[in-house]
Amino acid sequence: MAQVVLEEVNKEYGSVRAVVDVNLTVADGEFVVLVGPSGCGKSTTLRMVAGLEEITRGLIRIGERVVNRLPPKDRDIAMVFQNYALYQHMTVYDNLAFGLRNRKVREADIKTEVMRAAAVLGIEQLLSRKPRELSGGQQQRVALGRCVVRHPQVFLFDEPLSNLDAKLRAQMRIELKRLRERVATTSIYVTHDQVEAMTLGDRVVVMLDGRIQQVATPLEIYNRPRNRFVAGFIGAPAMNFLSVELQNIDDHLHAVAENFRIRVPQDRVSELACQRARAVVLGVRPEHVLMGEPRPEHGTGFDANVEVTEQLGAELLVAVRAGGTTVLASRVDAEATLALHQPLRLSLDPRGLHFFDRESGEAIR
Amino acid sequence: MTALCTTRSDRPYCWTDALAPGGRRAFFWLATIAIVLLFLGPIVILVVTSLRPGWAVFYIYRGTDFTLQNYRDVLATEAVIHAFVNSFLVATLATIVSIGVTVSSGYMLSRFRGPIPRAWFGTIYVFRTVPYISWVLPLYLVCYHLGIYDTYAGILLPHIAVHICFFSWIMKGFFDGIDPSMEYAALVDGCTRWGAFLRVALPSAIPAIAALGILSWLYTWNEFLFALILTGHNTALITVTMAQFVTELGTAWNLMSAMAVMAMGPAIIITLFAQKYVVRGLRI
Repeated sequence: MAQVVLEEVNKEYGSVRAVVDVNLTVADGEFVVLVGPSGCGKSTTLRMVAGLEEITRGLIRIGERVVNRLPPKDRDIAMVFQNYALYQHMTVYDNLAFGLRNRKVREADIKTEVMRAAAVLGIEQLLSRKPRELSGGQQQRVALGRCVVRHPQVFLFDEPLSNLDAKLRAQMRIELKRLRERVATTSIYVTHDQVEAMTLGDRVVVMLDGRIQQVATPLEIYNRPRNRFVAGFIGAPAMNFLSVELQNIDDHLHAVAENFRIRVPQDRVSELACQRARAVVLGVRPEHVLMGEPRPEHGTGFDANVEVTEQLGAELLVAVRAGGTTVLASRVDAEATLALHQPLRLSLDPRGLHFFDRESGEAIR
Repeated sequence: MTALCTTRSDRPYCWTDALAPGGRRAFFWLATIAIVLLFLGPIVILVVTSLRPGWAVFYIYRGTDFTLQNYRDVLATEAVIHAFVNSFLVATLATIVSIGVTVSSGYMLSRFRGPIPRAWFGTIYVFRTVPYISWVLPLYLVCYHLGIYDTYAGILLPHIAVHICFFSWIMKGFFDGIDPSMEYAALVDGCTRWGAFLRVALPSAIPAIAALGILSWLYTWNEFLFALILTGHNTALITVTMAQFVTELGTAWNLMSAMAVMAMGPAIIITLFAQKYVVRGLRI
């Protein structure tokens, strides 16, 4: 096991900057998830760590070694690919043994290792089959086995679950967590799925346009997003954004919109003070959009019309239209019955307010 | 695949839908028979001609005189045996050498970017675009001046060049169809770039390589123009030798047919055995 350090890593394809000044330290044994929309440079970053892409500028260290010029085979890493990338002409056993044979391990030891990895992943009965005879989930397990069997310093995962259907994906997510407990190897995991990012990562790295937007634990990313992009990207349904102005009303700082106002909690006042009388963006997650009038000291609620409802069983997602074009989503008790265009009175939970600069999108802290 | 599974109402309208179901089946059988006859007809005429005595070749649909004497005569001709051996050697050697080059060049064209692959691609493209009859005379001069006219090298090299130009593209297509992440996995698993090609990409391409091998073998076996211009007495090939039954005294159709039937033999055998590979290879 080893730590992985990326220092000022850049990747350019001609004039296109795919990865820009990435700095990241993945601690020994840590599981870090790179997440972002397609084309954000997360896979390119991973492939640079793997050695499958050259690094235009910057430094990558695995353990104590700078690996910039090392070919993938000498980096002591293992990688799981989106489409499994199993060797189609070999049996599962040979797939698992391939990496060990390349390292000239004795055949008897290979057998022990393969059996051990197969037991960990529950694929013992598949060892004599060819990859094409396996289901997607089984293939993915074999791909994981191919990594586990080698005891590498670092695991790299390139969207390993995105080819699986939703149910299997949830199941494999749990298996990955279980695998982590048994094999605590430093891991970098790339995904575009924010649920995977939230559930799997010790820390999450959100990327956009080749740049890191925020590195933090899943909860911190969720609760304290550093900018508007991170706030909107992490969390489903996504955060609502409203244009508000910060004003002093009765000696208290309020966020004021056309149709409602809400008092800023006392602990946030100092960080927002310098933004007074300026238009800012208020972000509020659906679970912080509440039904009913707020307590009077918290401000006023607003009228809205139900536009769409999505019944999820445990809860009901409601999209409403309020004050012109603003669309808000809200989570409601599943038992609630809401008719289309039904008028509602809604309010915002003052504990769930996020403020962003209108121009830069940076969180105001 | 899915088209096969869909019900009748799902498929697009075809003009044969206007026919009754029985009529449609009859139509397809008739069409199949017509097509088979179209291809089989000349072969049947060829085989029958090869079994007729010389005086009866113009009336193959009449008379019952059949003989194997034509085959005996042809096989007794030393030039014919010589031509068969030559053709077999040239086709086999050209295929072996060109497959080696084609596979690696197709792989390069599929996987690598940069000036060298681009230049190689351009070269192949130019040679493919030029009608190949226009190379023959320059090639003759080149062979003559290099002193390899009417030697194996003199016919092999041009054939290998043609194979490479024609089949590198097909091979590139095959490799384009094979997911490169398998090779990336091999690189991570401890292979060099070369090792990933040999141990992972190459085994996956075996059906394609087999298909291509057959195509190039048959191409050289059947080729006439190069054989005519670039070979002489020493390395005469079957296609040219066959044409020599056309003489000033007339054409020995019966002997020519007998030789043609024999020339079809290896091609048919190879195709039958390798059909599976050809179909699978071309489908990738």
